[in-house]
Amino acid sequence: MANQGRILGIGPTDNTSDQRTPRQRLRLIPEVARESFVPVVPARYAANPHEWDMTRTAPDRPRAAGVPIEVTGRVRTASGRAVAGALLEVWSANHFGRYRHIEDHSGLQLDENHLGLGRVLTDDAGRYRFWAISPGAYLARPDIGRWRPKHIHMSISGGSSRLITQMYFPGEPNNETDPMAILMGDAFERNLGIPRDAGDVDVEEAYDFDIVVGGRNATFFE
Amino acid sequence: MTDAASNLLPATNEDTCGPYFPIYFADPALEDLTRFDPGVVGAAAGTAIILRGRVLDRHGELANGAVLEFWQANANGIYRTPATEGHEGIDPWFHGYGRMRIASGAYEFRTILPGAAPGRAPNVTITIFSDGINRIVTQVFFDGQAGNDSDPVLQAVGDDAPKLIARHDGRTASGAEVYVFDIVMAGPGETPFFDDLES
Repeated sequence: MANQGRILGIGPTDNTSDQRTPRQRLRLIPEVARESFVPVVPARYAANPHEWDMTRTAPDRPRAAGVPIEVTGRVRTASGRAVAGALLEVWSANHFGRYRHIEDHSGLQLDENHLGLGRVLTDDAGRYRFWAISPGAYLARPDIGRWRPKHIHMSISGGSSRLITQMYFPGEPNNETDPMAILMGDAFERNLGIPRDAGDVDVEEAYDFDIVVGGRNATFFE
Repeated sequence: MTDAASNLLPATNEDTCGPYFPIYFADPALEDLTRFDPGVVGAAAGTAIILRGRVLDRHGELANGAVLEFWQANANGIYRTPATEGHEGIDPWFHGYGRMRIASGAYEFRTILPGAAPGRAPNVTITIFSDGINRIVTQVFFDGQAGNDSDPVLQAVGDDAPKLIARHDGRTASGAEVYVFDIVMAGPGETPFFDDLES
């Protein structure tokens, strides 16, 4: 183990990151107290049956505008153990880059067929699957012309595994200027969905996105 | 592909939750751990408390839209983990995990006062997600509790220990003890945060 904690990076051109990133070096946790820093999230089967399909708001409603995609992958810990029964909470902007969130004041176009919210559970092998609309990029900093590249937010919780991350799309021109992608450096490629053939599934594009929940917490009780 | 140095799989990068963590995902049962399903007899053992405060940025402004997660032992000082499954001190009506998104940046979490785990003072681990940052973690203690003077985490932060101790602020009419704890994300008065990746 390292003998000192990290200093967190501040996302370039990200005002909120500047306002909210701790400046002090993170403190090391004394070993005797280490276990108390391992939250164990109870199994939360909070997924409605249709929520895996975010391309429509309900099974009897039409598809939202844009490109329907399928995202599949496995959730594992760094030691390779499948994280089974984990809750994935997924959220993303619509085709026009707008979130159906009461605090999104961008003025971008809403879509009456798009909610942009979904929840799925991983199976015994840690696998998950959902459908979504390929999200639009949006202008995050109009004053300097910086765009937020298209991305899908995912929150993974199950047992002592806890991760909030984003899946990005390969080859997008705005990936290189994203503040958080810059902080990830070369490791950014781990957060890219990998395009694959959609097969005979009713979507236009498909991506594999395998998730590894890192850190000691996820493996603490293995 | 594995990490050559450690034989571990390379971790997916943590990322900001952004400003639009869905309010839709809120669960009232995770915002009040003393709550019990209507019509069912039962309650978590222990002293009801309200832990409230503000999450502030480096300019002293409220950090709107932050997501807080809480983790604590039950009134007996026992955490509900795979390591304590079947332990006689488990409270069947208390798990110890809470979560809320706070639109304004001010929070109010209802729970029970955690018991002291062996060698520790009563505490609650708080995980913070927000726009602009990845996950950060701290631990809050309670003013006047036995064991604060010898707790290893409070000792480890030295002169910053008072920044981790919630102030007792009376009692509500319903009998809950009120504790106030502000989290300063950055700048003057910054709360000590802990590194659970490097330790």
